[in-house]
Amino acid sequence: MFESVEQVQKRLLDQNYIAGKKIATVVYLATKLNKPVLIEGPAGVGKTELAKVVAAAVGRPLIRLQCYEGLDESKALYEWEYSKQLLYTQMLRDRINDVIAGTKSMKEAAERIASQDDVFFSERFIVARPLLKAITSSEPICLLIDEVDKSDPEFEAFLLEVLSDYTVSVPEVGTIQAKHLPLVFLTSNDAREMTDALKRRCLHLHIDFPSTEEEVRILELKVPGIGERLVHDIVELVQRIRKLDLKKTPSISETLDWARALMVLNADELETELVNDTMNVILKHQGDIAKAQSELNALLQRKAAEKAAGTAQPAPAQPAAPAKKSVLH
Amino acid sequence: MQKKLVEFTNLLRKAGVRVSVAESLDAFSALDQMPLEDRELFKDALRTTMVKRGDEIETYDRLFDLFWSGFHDQLRQEMQQALGGMPEGFDLEQLMEQLRRMLENMDIDLGDLAKALLSMDANQLEKLIQQAGDEAEVQNIRNMLQIGFFSRRMTEQMDMEGAAGELRDLMERLREEGFDEERLRELGELLKAIQEAVRRAVRQYTERELDKQNHDYIERFRRESLLEKSFYNLTEEDLRKLREVVQRLAQKLKSVITMRRKRERRGKFDLKTTMRRNMAHGGIPFELVFKQRKKEKPKLVVLCDISSSVANVSRFFLQFIFSLQDCFTKVRSYVFVAELGEVTQLFRDHEIFDAIDLALDGGDVINPYTRSNFGMAFHTFWRDYLSAIDSRTTVVVIGDARNNYNDPRAWCLRDVHSKAKNVIWINPESPGAWGFGDSVMDKYLPYTDIAEECRNLKQLSRLVDRLIL
Repeated sequence: MFESVEQVQKRLLDQNYIAGKKIATVVYLATKLNKPVLIEGPAGVGKTELAKVVAAAVGRPLIRLQCYEGLDESKALYEWEYSKQLLYTQMLRDRINDVIAGTKSMKEAAERIASQDDVFFSERFIVARPLLKAITSSEPICLLIDEVDKSDPEFEAFLLEVLSDYTVSVPEVGTIQAKHLPLVFLTSNDAREMTDALKRRCLHLHIDFPSTEEEVRILELKVPGIGERLVHDIVELVQRIRKLDLKKTPSISETLDWARALMVLNADELETELVNDTMNVILKHQGDIAKAQSELNALLQRKAAEKAAGTAQPAPAQPAAPAKKSVLH
Repeated sequence: MQKKLVEFTNLLRKAGVRVSVAESLDAFSALDQMPLEDRELFKDALRTTMVKRGDEIETYDRLFDLFWSGFHDQLRQEMQQALGGMPEGFDLEQLMEQLRRMLENMDIDLGDLAKALLSMDANQLEKLIQQAGDEAEVQNIRNMLQIGFFSRRMTEQMDMEGAAGELRDLMERLREEGFDEERLRELGELLKAIQEAVRRAVRQYTERELDKQNHDYIERFRRESLLEKSFYNLTEEDLRKLREVVQRLAQKLKSVITMRRKRERRGKFDLKTTMRRNMAHGGIPFELVFKQRKKEKPKLVVLCDISSSVANVSRFFLQFIFSLQDCFTKVRSYVFVAELGEVTQLFRDHEIFDAIDLALDGGDVINPYTRSNFGMAFHTFWRDYLSAIDSRTTVVVIGDARNNYNDPRAWCLRDVHSKAKNVIWINPESPGAWGFGDSVMDKYLPYTDIAEECRNLKQLSRLVDRLIL
């Protein structure tokens, strides 16, 4: 699929995804070693997105399983279609009479029926859920198991079989082996620690919030046409806000939303009023907004000072220097 | 390489990173797929296969640098330094060239080390030093005082003296052969400097080894002791560190509960109802019915003593309660000294540390500067909030039951106990002290389902494990 780590980076970039070397290395290894990747990190750093773009980059369809509390194998793996089975039993009643016709004892009749019972426990009556679909798919696919930390610990246990051998065991039918090895991504927000057994079977990737430079690149890539100045202002403020002790830290996707919102409002730099009006795009708690306010004011003040210094600059270089300093202090 | 990797794996394990055999095998096969020259890639490949916890990444990074690069660079640095120490106008290449020409015509047999020293072959030297390190079993080093001992053992193992002797003989031979006197002097100085450099490198090698062995030791010790440390002695700093541990604990509690709930949710196939329901279809079972048990949402009522006798402890427990409230929807939290007041809303509205400070201050609902009176607090609870308790409620009382010789009014707790599903008492004092002095724990004991001493994190986590909510 990929020849080198650099190629991974390039192909993901083609999909509008900026992958650092760490991310690219893991993706590359996952394709080479046929191992699932467990992606951990705070919400909104592009974990799910990574799975999507990798699927797009290698041109495979993506099957997604969204985990939630109480998700069980009948929702994730397969389910017997009881009503269909029952319906068939009713409709085939005459046939059943044929089968047991001429039997002399109950025992014999029961045995005759028993010899036929795999009709009712065959793949015909199985409703395939995402995991089984991924395993039985006739073309190679990508499987995304999203927010696996939201699922119950016991669900994790039965994921193990799928992840290590790419097989699914249905007791009545037998073990179903994957036709093509799927490329599996699991994402987790670290709401709870995954078991060691699961981690052992996966490659581990920790994605954190991007550095300032990376975030600038992301913004420029994802929000084409945005002014350079605005990008830097946004990123600087967001990076500062992330350092605060907040209930919910703004994610990359929220930064993007904010940038888009500001674009729509035709902003080319951050101003107090504008930011106050749009702050709720990146911060979702009233308390957080109040906290961020002071950060914002400090930033805007500094910018104003820089601006003043900037206008002072065109004056003759030598005498202007001390003047500039005094403005800054 | 394989040996190195196994060694590194062992090192990681020693530092508390869990690396399974399967994972180190993965690391091997990952390295097969990667170009090894790129250090960054190499590091990432090892990390993704072996280190799977966010909090272990930092340890890994430090160990990686310690293990995979450091010595290599250090040795080269030392060699550079040795060269830099040579007098002005010294021309290494010229000297080497002359030396090589000279040696070509001479029949001289040098040992590995002497050869490496003479040719300043850093790779070879590194290999020799590492070999000596293995043979001298430097990995057994345990403390600072052994650095000298192991360094000496290594130089002996390498036979530095022997190599030095060989080189002296060589110089002698060179002189006899009529090697330029000036060059000879330079060579002598150079060799001396390089030998010094190697000795220094050996010492650094030992020091690094000690670092490796001791890595994380201190930190682990601190963490362990944090678990063992009594709540009474926690510092502000400790409390902050505990926050994470407490949250994890609360999370664990939550997952236990959801698991239990889920098991109840699925229900069994209900034959009787199915038949009855499907009579309309002529007995053909179109509609299946499962026995559904009622979902049981756990309700938690927490009463926490915040009197000055348990000030530090309650600070910690409030943290625990705060985290509980984050995890569960139906938690009602109360604090008391003599009066009792509800702080549920307070916890909802504020950040953890603000909330705790406010709660310890009485949270505007009670006066914290009185003497504790459990009887009065329970009575208030019985009078005002008993209705909030039903058969699904677990009541948790946190306090030392030191009642200042007031009336314990144990009957209040008895009523609470008879209505609630469980009453759990968490007492920071050890059972030996219960009932002595002004402790009325013995009076309350009959009306609790679980009463546990809990004075450090370890005990608390054990308690959480045992709690059946």
